[in-house]
Amino acid sequence: MARSPRLIFASVERRGELRHELALRTADDVVEELGSMKGALMKLGQMASYIDEDMPQTFRSAMARLQHNAPPMSPELASSVIVDELGAAPERVFSRWDALPFAAASIGQVHRAITRDGRAVAVKVQYPAIARTITSDVRNVALLRRVAAAAFPGLDTRSLIDELGERLREEVDYRLEAENQELFAGYYDGHPVIHVPHVVSELSTTRVLTSELVAGTRFDDVLHWNQDERNMAAETINRFVSRSLYRLHAFNGDPHPGNYLFHGRGRVTFLDFGLTKHFSAEDLAPLADAVRFLVIENDGERFRASLERAGFLRAGAPVPTEVVVDRFGLFYATVLRDSPMTITPAYASAIVRRFFDSRGPLAPYSDVPRAYVVLQRINLGLYAVLGSLHATANWRRIAEEIWPFVNAPPSTPIGEAEAQWEKRRQGEQLALDRSA
Amino acid sequence: MMEPLARAYEHSVAERPKDGGLFGPGSIVWRVHRDRSFPLAAIRSLMVQALHPLAMAGVAQHSSWQRDPFGRIAATAGYVLTVTYGDTAAAESAAARVRTVHTHVRGTDPVTGLAYQASDPELLLWVHAGMVDSIVHVVQRYGRSLDAADADRYVAEMARFAEIIGVPAARVPTGVGALREYLESVDLRQITPAASEAIGIVLDPPSLDTLTRELWRDLGQVAVGTLPAWARSMYGFGEPPPELMEREPVRQLIGALDFAFESFPGVLEARERIELRTRA
Repeated sequence: MARSPRLIFASVERRGELRHELALRTADDVVEELGSMKGALMKLGQMASYIDEDMPQTFRSAMARLQHNAPPMSPELASSVIVDELGAAPERVFSRWDALPFAAASIGQVHRAITRDGRAVAVKVQYPAIARTITSDVRNVALLRRVAAAAFPGLDTRSLIDELGERLREEVDYRLEAENQELFAGYYDGHPVIHVPHVVSELSTTRVLTSELVAGTRFDDVLHWNQDERNMAAETINRFVSRSLYRLHAFNGDPHPGNYLFHGRGRVTFLDFGLTKHFSAEDLAPLADAVRFLVIENDGERFRASLERAGFLRAGAPVPTEVVVDRFGLFYATVLRDSPMTITPAYASAIVRRFFDSRGPLAPYSDVPRAYVVLQRINLGLYAVLGSLHATANWRRIAEEIWPFVNAPPSTPIGEAEAQWEKRRQGEQLALDRSA
Repeated sequence: MMEPLARAYEHSVAERPKDGGLFGPGSIVWRVHRDRSFPLAAIRSLMVQALHPLAMAGVAQHSSWQRDPFGRIAATAGYVLTVTYGDTAAAESAAARVRTVHTHVRGTDPVTGLAYQASDPELLLWVHAGMVDSIVHVVQRYGRSLDAADADRYVAEMARFAEIIGVPAARVPTGVGALREYLESVDLRQITPAASEAIGIVLDPPSLDTLTRELWRDLGQVAVGTLPAWARSMYGFGEPPPELMEREPVRQLIGALDFAFESFPGVLEARERIELRTRA
């Protein structure tokens, strides 16, 4: 590599130092370390940590310890996966290959490399034998359910185990992630501030995911930037989340700050599409209705009816509508008023507390339907991120640009640039449709 | 329940050992003794060992283990781990301590009417053989790979284990076949009320949380399935259904228990110390 930019590819679920001296050297080592339920239980804990505040402390610390300690593959073992998947040793497949991984991923690790045609890439390599053992582990539903029932007494273990199974089956096939990442990358091509690295499809398989390597500043460092810069970064993250949901009908489900890279003046790169949820128009309609009725039309009864339709609130709950509006309204506080608002850490944690509130007047009647679990998780993560940036903006105006039922004109310089991008995009789309 | 076991694990694997101990990082003993299937091997060991009425009487009459079975199991585990992974001085002083305790353990077995003393090399050999045979069987069936040649070498290396506790070297079998022949040659083998009571507690220990209790009970059923036919029939257990004994689900069960075990402070670190010393 001619230049060696500061590279942080942060799809890091295990955030500890990579313990190269404990590297896994054979597929057997991998099975021993992450097979026999261990990988599955780690994932279960990770999922539950987002949705269950009451996870027993011992289990919570077990998660933290185990995630911290899972070792990387040895260079030889990683190389053998490349041979299996891409047909030759990495030194032959790539013109340069960094034998030591620079980041851990959930069931693999990430290497830097340069392709034979000179592109700098990040290569995610999956642990060998992990797919088979994880598939077998998630089939042992009886055992998983017993562990889950004991570890998370307050949760519906059946839906949790279903979700776990689905998640892991998705995770072991990198082609799904590649497809999702390409969907986002293609949609945001040419966007003035949002960037998603493209996948190098000829160097990607079920167990290897090669994408464009991006250099940028980490979230922790951005916290020291001036407030103007932080506001712009926050605006872009907010736009990415709403635009992906309302226009692309897809959600990149990991709100972890490690999944962003910052480039200044509001430009942000979004990484890690291993957890992507697609929404149908029917999934989305009641959510859009809820926003519209509460925020635009100020109609409490119809707001409540949309929540009931989405399954968040049981129909006929003996609770006055004012209470419903008051309790659920907190989640819409950023877009209720047409004025600048600062998102503080206090607001972010109030949201989390309200969300997990099991003692409030609505608790017995409210629920998060499975289709929206990921969405909730992203929202909570998003507020935490925006809160730590102390971001100020007129979030209502920004939202109105993106809400399809308002389609307002641009309200900020980034909005102006985005509108032009969208016009170009639609022009290209039109030309494409005509030629078809 | 796992806490005393975790502490035993942490303390037995020294952070700064003076030497490689009785076996050394390159030994098969080191490799086999960190297998995650060890809890299963432990249950099987106890079930086999309890079938010698004099060995059983010594435990029943001289220890308070019924009140604190896991404390007792942790003490035994601590001994095995110290002799394995401790330096030579730690291993020898642990063995010396046990030998001292054994000199006070003597009496008469109510069933056979025979006198016993815990320092009797024949009883020590029985206990040793029950343990080593169980480890070999369980690790071969549910642990990481242990082929026949390595299993024989393991049994031979373990002779040292028997010697330091007081069994003359010449008496200790040094291969898997000889070990099993020896076990089946012991005529005194039989079930006693003390053994039945003890095994009832081992298979369903008091004061476990609900989850661990269920997992432990399942593990106990598997342990019954791993017993030699003669031992199973002495206890009056039937042969468990084959699907209960399949490798994959048993490993998953062991993995779930081990996951909980590793969450105790010190366990992972101890395992890493072993791993790093093995690689050095």
